[in-house]
Amino acid sequence: MSRPLLEVDHLVMNYTTEKGDVSAIQDVSFTLNEGESLGLVGESGCGKTSIAMSLLRLVAENARFDSGEIRLDGTDLLSLTDEEMRQRRWNDISMVFQGAMNAWNPVYKVGDQIREAMDLHFHPRLSNAEVEARISKLFELVGLNPAMMNRYPHEFSGGMRQRAIIAMALSCDPKIIIADEPTTALDVIVQDQILQELKKIQADLGMSIIYISHDIAVIAEVTDKIGVMYAGKLVELGSTREVFARPRHPYAFLLLSSTPSVTGPRRKLAPLEGEPPDLLNPPTGCRFHPRCPYATDQCATDEPPMEDAGDGHQVACWNWKEVPELGGLTK
Amino acid sequence: MGKYMARRLFQSVLLFLVFITITWFLLYALPGDIVTQKFRTNPNIPPEAAETAIRRLGLDRPILEQFWTYVTGFFRGDFGVSFNQYPRPVTEIIAERLPRTIVLFLTAIVTYYWAGFIAGKYLAWRRGKRGEMAITVGGVGLLTVFYPWFALMAIWLLSAQLGLLPISKFLDPTEWRNAPFSANEVFMRLFWTVAITSALLFSVQYAANKIRDAAPARAIRLGGTVLVIVGFVFYWWGAGGVEIRPFAGDIAEHLVLPVLVLTLVNFAGIMLLTRSSMLETMREDFILTARAKGLPEKAVRDRHAARTALLPVTTSLVLAVATVIDGGIITEFVFSWPGMGEILISSVTSEDIPLAVTAFSFIGVMALVGHFVVDMLYGVLDPRIRVSSSQ
Amino acid sequence: MTDLGQRAPEPDLEANAEAVESQEIAKAQSLWQIRWALLRRSFRNNWKLFRRNRIGIAGLVIIGFFATLAIAPSIFFATGFWSTSVYDPVTGLEPNPPSQQLEIVQTVTDPNTQIDIRQVLVDGRINGNIGDVIDVTLQPAPPYGKHWLGTDPLGRDILSQLMYGAKAAFGLGILAATVTVLIGTVVGSVAAFYGGKIDAFLMRLADLLIMVPGLAILIVISAVVRFQLWHLAVVIGILSGFGGVAIVLKSQALAVKVKPFVDAARVAGGSNARLIVAHIIPNVMPLSFLYMMFTVTSAIQSEATLSFIGLLNVDMSWGLMIQLANNQGYLLQGGRYWWMVFPAGLAVTFIAMAFFLVGRAMDEVVNPRLRKR
Repeated sequence: MSRPLLEVDHLVMNYTTEKGDVSAIQDVSFTLNEGESLGLVGESGCGKTSIAMSLLRLVAENARFDSGEIRLDGTDLLSLTDEEMRQRRWNDISMVFQGAMNAWNPVYKVGDQIREAMDLHFHPRLSNAEVEARISKLFELVGLNPAMMNRYPHEFSGGMRQRAIIAMALSCDPKIIIADEPTTALDVIVQDQILQELKKIQADLGMSIIYISHDIAVIAEVTDKIGVMYAGKLVELGSTREVFARPRHPYAFLLLSSTPSVTGPRRKLAPLEGEPPDLLNPPTGCRFHPRCPYATDQCATDEPPMEDAGDGHQVACWNWKEVPELGGLTK
Repeated sequence: MGKYMARRLFQSVLLFLVFITITWFLLYALPGDIVTQKFRTNPNIPPEAAETAIRRLGLDRPILEQFWTYVTGFFRGDFGVSFNQYPRPVTEIIAERLPRTIVLFLTAIVTYYWAGFIAGKYLAWRRGKRGEMAITVGGVGLLTVFYPWFALMAIWLLSAQLGLLPISKFLDPTEWRNAPFSANEVFMRLFWTVAITSALLFSVQYAANKIRDAAPARAIRLGGTVLVIVGFVFYWWGAGGVEIRPFAGDIAEHLVLPVLVLTLVNFAGIMLLTRSSMLETMREDFILTARAKGLPEKAVRDRHAARTALLPVTTSLVLAVATVIDGGIITEFVFSWPGMGEILISSVTSEDIPLAVTAFSFIGVMALVGHFVVDMLYGVLDPRIRVSSSQ
Repeated sequence: MTDLGQRAPEPDLEANAEAVESQEIAKAQSLWQIRWALLRRSFRNNWKLFRRNRIGIAGLVIIGFFATLAIAPSIFFATGFWSTSVYDPVTGLEPNPPSQQLEIVQTVTDPNTQIDIRQVLVDGRINGNIGDVIDVTLQPAPPYGKHWLGTDPLGRDILSQLMYGAKAAFGLGILAATVTVLIGTVVGSVAAFYGGKIDAFLMRLADLLIMVPGLAILIVISAVVRFQLWHLAVVIGILSGFGGVAIVLKSQALAVKVKPFVDAARVAGGSNARLIVAHIIPNVMPLSFLYMMFTVTSAIQSEATLSFIGLLNVDMSWGLMIQLANNQGYLLQGGRYWWMVFPAGLAVTFIAMAFFLVGRAMDEVVNPRLRKR
């Protein structure tokens, strides 16, 4: 169960623009084990979607990988040719797109769009009837009527479309599924249903999932591990329980304490002041230091390395020990 | 879909009635007493014959009655009698000219639509690369070029300078002096064989596209195409076609330049439109999905981006129908191509009212039919329309 | 709750300028002063976007060039640089055309079949033997010092004709576009505002006009009315104003109609007519300017085409110049009589293209969807 499946190793990615380089991913490392689920959280523009797209190597044309590796089963995906990478997409890594996205082509039937991926990647090649049987099975798995596969996307409701996308993501038995804001834009009840179903499917089929969300509360329920990103950097990584109970990085701390909790202890909500930094000219040293209430002179000059804060809980902060326990916040 | 079609058809007929009414009254309101001028004072017609003709044509009846006679006649296929070519019925003239216009139009439309779409597709796909700007500006140039001048320049370059193609007209009279066929006979035979061949070729493509597996699909596409072409060649080069072939060839040769010019001028519009439509489609999320699914770039481009980009391009075709017909009128005029547009201009300038009204009405019918076809095509291409209209 | 992302960014210079303008607007005395200031601001903002579009700027440069051409003859005639008897585009005549020495190499029995040889035998009075050298006046004359673009077969100055054509084209285009926009704006606003039967009628009319080929209509109308240039401009304006432009402007007007300020004005007791004039029309205007550009393009082309076919009653225009060159057989010799063939043809093409390009560039300004991101 705990064999490392995906290793992202000191990944650095920049976008070349007219105004200069935008540092989208700065020295990010993490490991995803088989059957494990990892959540990446952060504000929009913090690089979490860039990471997701990097895993599929579907980054924009002006993106540039400057260093680092993405190893899937030991093979560095960044060193594959375009054709080799294409073979791996959906086959090894598939994706559940944001609910708000028009991930379906409006002119083809939903079933045909799923079949398109299976025709390319599913081995051995299936006959027409077998493909249909498999799509039916997948539709049932995600709670859709199999007859819907002969419908067009516009005939689906938002929640149904999202379920169908999950069915499509499962169609080629991938090793990893990336779920990018899988439930944003859906109403709360549907959101919860879909997350629970994903969790169940993951347990049944034993695949790994990377959840990406701006809402830490949403994915806390379904992940084993959580990584907190800020301005292109992974600033904290640990088991979901650990990160939730004892956020070590000031940013994670502020993020969590700005989220009201119904069941947790009553506490004051701490404001997170300032704007996310401009990634064209990221702050020197720790990228969070301009907004950090615990910043010292060192934070402005030296980049903090990832440090172990016990129990495999890693944090990139010089002063993590200063950060108080959640709930004990005083003015 | 059927109900929608019926409604559109009804609307079209209604529009046509409005159209023909306005035209008829407009043209019969021409200044000066046309009837007197064309018949009574015409030195070529004896006075008694003129009066007989006027009575026979009903030109002495009240204007509303004349109109009613014309409209009811129109739907029975009786368009009256030409003033200038009296007593030749307009129906006969139209029957001869209409197929020639339709051939010119259909060939040009199919060619420019197809070529413009392909060119726009590639242009969008290589966005930002070298030459893109030049092609865009060149495209706008073609789109806005002064059309008669462009046509004349094409004649000058290809016919007068290089001698590749005949200068103008429908056929070369010197070759036809002792022809055992009438031009119309040859032309209609050419028309039908080409129409059938194209329909068969299209069916083969359509059938092949329906097949999911690559190998048999390719076999059907290749085999079918070869078979149809062999059939066509056999028909014209076989025993039956020996005598008629040179004459058919002459007509076909005269067709090339007008079609080429009409195609080129309209091509640029479709190309530019496809380009911007493609660029917009390529930003859509489902293109990312297609890539993430590991589809080869060619499939992403053709099956997803281009197929979806086809929708706005087809919408614009609705507006383009009128433009193409305008272009066709100029083409026929410049190339002295004996079609509806040429009739329209000559009958208007020579005040041959029945012919002018009918020619204009047929141009209106062509526009309406064009619209109707494009509308239906759009319904077929966009499933969202298909469903909502059937409800 | 939190104030995440509430802080305003540093004010830059542009924002400062806008702030100054906002103050001006606030200080303005009357409603019209406010309108004027707002108009100036929106114009400035749009110009900033337009300026980045290289193609649009190229279009403006071409239009500027032709505008100069259109104005030039008035100055030339007024200053006496050109005399009317020689340079008038219609009645002018070059009294001393240049000549060329030609050697008779061949006698031709039927001069009409061979145009280039006809030059020698222009009025049939030349009698000579093979080997004789004769002086032949060149008419049409190629460009030389006195006539920068040569003369036509009647000895008239081509440049002067070209300039006159530019004036005609501008007048026609601008008149047609103005009529289009006036009608289109009113029709679109009225249809959007009143809805119901009025809307249905106006839109069916627009459908009809879109469907019918414009040139065919113009040909038919020209049978009824002997067209003057301004007739044509008005007819084109009416056709496109009631046609496609009305549909587009109606959808724009619909979008404006539901804006809160219109409701506010209605609550304040504004009559329907007043709402349309004071609120709907000013907000639909920017889009209508865009359609002015496309109308200019099509008006100029229609004019040139109709005068080429010979259905237009004009003294001189680019279309007529080409018709003349074509009817007398010069066009098919292309390169040899280039000054009769290319200036007019290219002028129509370029001016139509220029207005089209400006329209396209304006489209990108008005429709943010089309902007390059």
